[in-house]
Amino acid sequence: MKQEQPAGICEELTFSGFFKSHAKALRNFLYYKFGNEEQADEATQEAFIKLWENCASVPPEKAKSFLYTVANNTTLNHIAHKKVVLEYSKKNVNHDTNNQSPEFLMEEEQFKVKLQNAIANLSEAQRSAFLLHRIDGKKYHEIAEILGIGVKAVEKRIHGALLQLRKEIDTFR
Amino acid sequence: MNEDVTLAKWLNDDMNDQELKDFMAQPEYATYSKIKEFSGQLTVPQTDMDALYQNITRNRNKANQPKVRKLNPWMPRVAAMLILALGATFFFFTTNTTSQIAGTGERDTFLLPDNSEVVLNAGSEAEYKEFNWSKNRKLELNGEAYFKVAKGKTFDVVTSLGTVTVVGTQFNVRARNGRLDVTCFEGKVKVTNGKETVFLTPGKTVAYENGKKLNLPDVSASGPGWINYETYFGKVRLQEVIREMERQYKVTINLNATVDKRFNGTIPMNNIDTALDQILPVYHLQAKKVGNTITLSAE
Repeated sequence: MKQEQPAGICEELTFSGFFKSHAKALRNFLYYKFGNEEQADEATQEAFIKLWENCASVPPEKAKSFLYTVANNTTLNHIAHKKVVLEYSKKNVNHDTNNQSPEFLMEEEQFKVKLQNAIANLSEAQRSAFLLHRIDGKKYHEIAEILGIGVKAVEKRIHGALLQLRKEIDTFR
Repeated sequence: MNEDVTLAKWLNDDMNDQELKDFMAQPEYATYSKIKEFSGQLTVPQTDMDALYQNITRNRNKANQPKVRKLNPWMPRVAAMLILALGATFFFFTTNTTSQIAGTGERDTFLLPDNSEVVLNAGSEAEYKEFNWSKNRKLELNGEAYFKVAKGKTFDVVTSLGTVTVVGTQFNVRARNGRLDVTCFEGKVKVTNGKETVFLTPGKTVAYENGKKLNLPDVSASGPGWINYETYFGKVRLQEVIREMERQYKVTINLNATVDKRFNGTIPMNNIDTALDQILPVYHLQAKKVGNTITLSAE
């Protein structure tokens, strides 16, 4: 293979490498947005295809923001907005499970379910920001970049999300 | 405007000690801390990213084509199928031709949709469309046939040598090897051969050989002789007479002599020996029969 000068996105290797490093996060984000795996997959594909189509005009350092801009502009028909179903990772389950009382464990389980429901009931904007932080471990400024808003707006959304979650969980205690 | 974003600050571990202490003192803190803890354990249902990438590489090659998102992918398919089916049916009805064939040594009598009668002589083929027959009475003929046409609109017999148009009549058309013979037995017949048009009245015959008109005597019979196995040949090359006999008798006849004289007369087509007896003396030939092959040579 001959080495072309600055390997742009049009380069197969660059494109696939870019996909490997960003596709999963993009898909997660789209999943928070749509709450539907199929739509998230479809929108992910579409965003990358758009990127490929425009690979000549998008420099590699702008590719990520291009991707999220496309993703943010995707307006899919929300025929049936499915509930965001998130699972708790198994390995993280509490430290010394054996030392916990059954009541405590049950209470914890109930809390988890309530949290899942409360997250599903958040607005799309709040949920996306909150989960990008909690699941993907994004910094606020990264979230701001992804959503195309300011850091302050991200903080407002996170604050609002926490407030909303706490209220809903405590109300149904 | 300074909106409250303290919770966001806390979640991001941005609070200073004093702020954190105050926050932890609040009754809601327990829930917040649990939200923080458990939301950190959440995961997204995963998908096969390799398959996703395959999809992308497959689809991006079509990327340059304009994308049209179909509302319902079945609609155009159903429509296309309907149109195809209708088109095929129409095509079938309008172009479907009926063929009648009389093989060597055979005859075929059949009726056209308007009950016109056609008798095909041996080794002849007729083709016509049943669709809209009454408005378009047209038949393609290759060989010889006798027609008794029902009254009605014009009736066309198309041959490679010319077209015969008639109105309610009986006539014989013979189109073989560059020679066209048309004899009218009843009614009126119009024969178009190239630029020339001839009208025939009963008893009249017109013949063209390689585009040249031949003068033939009138016939007094009410129908062509071949119908009754008595084929009349008017100024016909011997080679053509022999070919006709081959068709009728299902034999092979080799002519090993050069003859220029044309044949004039009637030959029976149901008795080959009698038929040969009619020809041989005229041309001073003798016949030798081996199986289905007859060889004619000079005496």
